[in-house]
Amino acid sequence: MNLATDPWVWIAALLTIAMFSFLYRENPFYRFGEHLFVGISNGYFITFMWHRILVPYLFDPVSQGQKLWLIAIAIIGALYFTRFIPKVSWLVRIPIAVVLGYGAGASIPRAIDGHILQQIRATIITRASFTDTLAGPGWQLGLWTVIIALGVICTIAYFFFSARQKGILKPASRIGIIFVMVGFGASFGYTVMARISLFIGRLQFLLRDWLGLIG
Amino acid sequence: MRFWDKLLAVDRRWIYVVVWLVVMLPLLFPFAIRPVAMPPVEQLFNYIDTMPEDKALLISVDYTPDTEPELHPMTLALLRHAFANRTKVGVLCVGSVMSVGLGVNAVESVTEEFNQHATTNADSIIYGRDVVFWGWSTPFVTVLLGMGEKISNVFPVDYYGNTTEEMEITPHIRNYDDAGILVCLAASSIPLSWITYAQVQFGLPLGCGITAVSAADFYIYLNSGQFTGMLAGMKGAAEYEELVEQKMVAEGKDWGLRRRATEAMSSQTAAHLAIMLFIIVGNVAFFATRRRKQ
Repeated sequence: MNLATDPWVWIAALLTIAMFSFLYRENPFYRFGEHLFVGISNGYFITFMWHRILVPYLFDPVSQGQKLWLIAIAIIGALYFTRFIPKVSWLVRIPIAVVLGYGAGASIPRAIDGHILQQIRATIITRASFTDTLAGPGWQLGLWTVIIALGVICTIAYFFFSARQKGILKPASRIGIIFVMVGFGASFGYTVMARISLFIGRLQFLLRDWLGLIG
Repeated sequence: MRFWDKLLAVDRRWIYVVVWLVVMLPLLFPFAIRPVAMPPVEQLFNYIDTMPEDKALLISVDYTPDTEPELHPMTLALLRHAFANRTKVGVLCVGSVMSVGLGVNAVESVTEEFNQHATTNADSIIYGRDVVFWGWSTPFVTVLLGMGEKISNVFPVDYYGNTTEEMEITPHIRNYDDAGILVCLAASSIPLSWITYAQVQFGLPLGCGITAVSAADFYIYLNSGQFTGMLAGMKGAAEYEELVEQKMVAEGKDWGLRRRATEAMSSQTAAHLAIMLFIIVGNVAFFATRRRKQ
C-alpha cells in the first residue's frame, strides 16, 4: 500500500466515497457532495465564460475601438436578463427569436441531408452492396444490407398507425417488433457495459491513485 | 418463504456488494485479456494510419469528467497514434466547458510521454509545431461552420493565449481542407452535429468515440459510411490501445505506456459474466415462482 500524499487526491477520493454512500441509503455526505458538484460546476462555467469568452471576444476588442458592432449583439444578449424584471420581461423573446431563427435556419437543410437522405441511401440495395471489400466477402455484406432494409421496412410498418394491422401489415409489424426488441437488447447490453466502465474508472482511481494498491 | 422467493426479495445492496467485489478483485489480481480489434475500430485506425502526410488529425474532446473512464483512454490512444505517425494534431472542445481540463491533460501528458524518449528536436513533440489545443468556444454551430472557412477566425488565440495566426502549425491546419479526419469523442449527440454542420457542408471525413450507452444509436451512421470508424465505450478504447501498441512495438517504440482501458478489461469481463448470471438466475426465479402461483 502506498497512500497518496497529494491533498487533492484525498479530497477526490473522499468525495467519491461520499457519492457511493448513496448506494446504502440517502445521507448528508451524499447530499454535501451533490450540492458541492452543482456549485463548483456553475462557478467554473461562469468564470470560464467571463475570462475565456466575454473578455477576449467582447470587452477587449470593443475597449480598443474594434468590432463596435459587437455592442449591439451584446445588448441583444443582455435582454435575457429582462426575465427578472416583470414589466419588461417580454423583451426576452428577442434574443430567443434570434437564437431560434439562426439555429433552425442553419440546421434544418443540413439535418435533412445528413440524417434523412443519407440514411435512406444507406438502405438502398444495389449491386455494389454484394461486392467484396476489406470489410468482408460480398455475399456477407449483401446479406446484412438485405437484413437492414428488411428491418427498416418492418419497423416502420410496426409504427404505422394510420391503418388496421391486417393483411401484409400484420406479419411485417410482427417482424418489426422483433427488430425493435433486438435493438432494445443491444442498447441494454451497452448500457450495462457503460455503467460498469464508469465504476471501474472510479475504482482504478481509488485503488491506484489514492491507496496505491495497483501498479 | 421458499428459496426462489427469498432470491427475488433479496436486498439490492447485496447485489451492489457482489458487483463491487467482482469489479475490484480483477483489478487487484488481473488476468490477461488481449483485446481483438473489431471492424469499426480497425477501420478508424487504418484510415488515420494511411492518411496523407500533409493531412492533420483533428480531435474534438466533448466529454466531461463523469464519462472520463470510457472516453479519455480514446483521446490518449489517438494522440499516441498521431504522434507516432508524426501527424499534425489540432484539439478542440465544443460540447462543454468541463471538457477543457481533460483536453489539456491529454495533450500535455501524451506530449510528455513522447518527449521523454526524444533525443533530438525533430524527434520531440513541440507544442505549436506538432500539436495545438485551441480550447473551447461557443456557440457550437458557429464554431463548426466557421472552422470550415478559417480556424483562426474561430479561435484567434489558443487555450494558452498564443495568437493562433502566429503559430507554426497554423499554415498546416487552416480549415477542414487540411484535415484528414476529425474524431469526435463525446458522451452526447455532438458527433451528429459534426455530421450536420461539418460533413454535409464541407465534406469533412468523421470518426467518433462514444460511450457504450449511446453506441447503438451511432451504428446507423457507421453503416451509412458517414462515420469512417467508431470506438464504442471502454472496450473500443482498449481495442484502439492494442492497435497503437502493436504499431509502436513494431516501430521499436516499446515504451510500456500505461493502457487504462486494457487494464480494465479483466474487471469488465468479470462484471459482464456476473450480470449475465444475475439475469439468468432472476428469470429462473421469476418463472419458478410464477408457475407455483398459477
